[in-house]
This record gives sequence, structure tokens and C-alpha cells, in this order.
Amino acid sequence: MIALTHRPLELAGLLAAVGDADHGGTAAFLGTTRREGHVRPVEAIDYEAYEELALAELRAIAAEAGDRFGARVAAVHRVGRVDVGEPSVAVAASAPHRAAAFAACRWAIDELKERVPIWKRVVYADGGDEWLDGLREPAEDPAPAAAPRAGADV
Amino acid sequence: MGGMDDIRVTVRLFASLRDAAGTDRVELRLPGATPVGAVWSHLPEPVRAAGLPEGVRYALNHAWTLPGAPLRDGDEVALVLPVSGG
Repeated sequence: MIALTHRPLELAGLLAAVGDADHGGTAAFLGTTRREGHVRPVEAIDYEAYEELALAELRAIAAEAGDRFGARVAAVHRVGRVDVGEPSVAVAASAPHRAAAFAACRWAIDELKERVPIWKRVVYADGGDEWLDGLREPAEDPAPAAAPRAGADV
Repeated sequence: MGGMDDIRVTVRLFASLRDAAGTDRVELRLPGATPVGAVWSHLPEPVRAAGLPEGVRYALNHAWTLPGAPLRDGDEVALVLPVSGG
């Protein structure tokens, strides 16, 4: 299962999608929109995807995970508005043994963040917003330069 | 301007670029075999206001491509800004 969706994420469907009687381990990852501290609290993240290429890249990641880890991978990413506390991305990986399942799941979410054409627009509780797409540095951002960027999880 | 060998291409815009353009796709008429990387300079001024960001990549008809790839009539180009999914 590879998908982009406007709806809340359901882990059960992903787990079922990677089910395999020869796979003894399944790992799942949920990335959730963070409030992001007290300096400038985040209210929601609005996700936009280049859908055709995002789906192609997600499929490629799943196929590569099969080659590298012998894993089956499923991944679903939200598009549109995701409020703080709601999952924005879900990845599940199954493999014959747990080490490969964990490794494949970790690798797949890292690859997703690196190469799948999806962008965040951070909507702040103070009413401001900004795209995280490299186009302009958020000079008005009061957060320290070393602080991690707003977003789900990592 | 414009000649018999001109081609029509669609440029897909996302995130900041889409906001700046006020639309998610721009139709351009370009000389035949214009390279993908030259599309930027043909976009409307408001789209280019913030400058071409470092790390931009290009997709041609929904597959990654290089800036030197020549465009053909009917192609769809996407400017892919540094991604931030997850």
C-alpha cells in the first residue's frame, strides 16, 4: 500500500498490507505533527505533494527496501492540513526477522523525507505561516538558528 | 517573437512557487529543444522574485531529469524545491 490521503491515517491497513506468512517481524513508524516548543507554537502543518512523482518515489522506496532488506514496505502520507498531535506519515515494514524489519522501516522513512516531493507549510498559532521549501530563509523566524525545523517527528 | 519551431510546455509549480504564481501550472511557449533548466527564466516575474533556490531539482513528465534535458512539445516540467515531507 502506497498512498497520499486527506484522511486520518490508520495503521491497521498498513500492517495488513505488509502481512506475509514468511515474515516474522513487522515494524511501524508514525510521524506526528509537533507543537514545536514555546517560542512560536505550531497549530498545524499543511502538506502539499507533487502527487504523480511522490507516488512514484514512494513505490521506488518500497521496491528498494525489498531489494536491500527483503522487506515489504507500505507507506501513506497525509496531504492538506494536519493538526498538531495528528499523524502525518505512516510507514510499516515486515521482514523475515525483526532486525531487517526495523532497519527497513527506518531506512524507508529516512528516504521518504529525503526524496519524496512533499512540502510543509507550517501554520503557527499566532496566525503566521511559512513554507519549508528552501525558497526563502525565514528571516522573521524568532527561533534560534540551531533549533530543529518545525515539523513532524525528526 | 516566437517561431515555427516553438514548443508548448506546461510548468508545474508547488509550495512557495505556486503561491507566488497564484496558480499551480504555467503554460509556456519556448524555442524547440530549450533545456529544462532554462524554464526558470521564462516564468512570470512574481514567481522569480525570490530567486531560484539552491537545491532545486527538475522532473520531466513525472520522472526526475537533469537541467540539460531538451524539452519537446507537450512536455510537462516540474520545479521541485527542496522537499520537507514526513
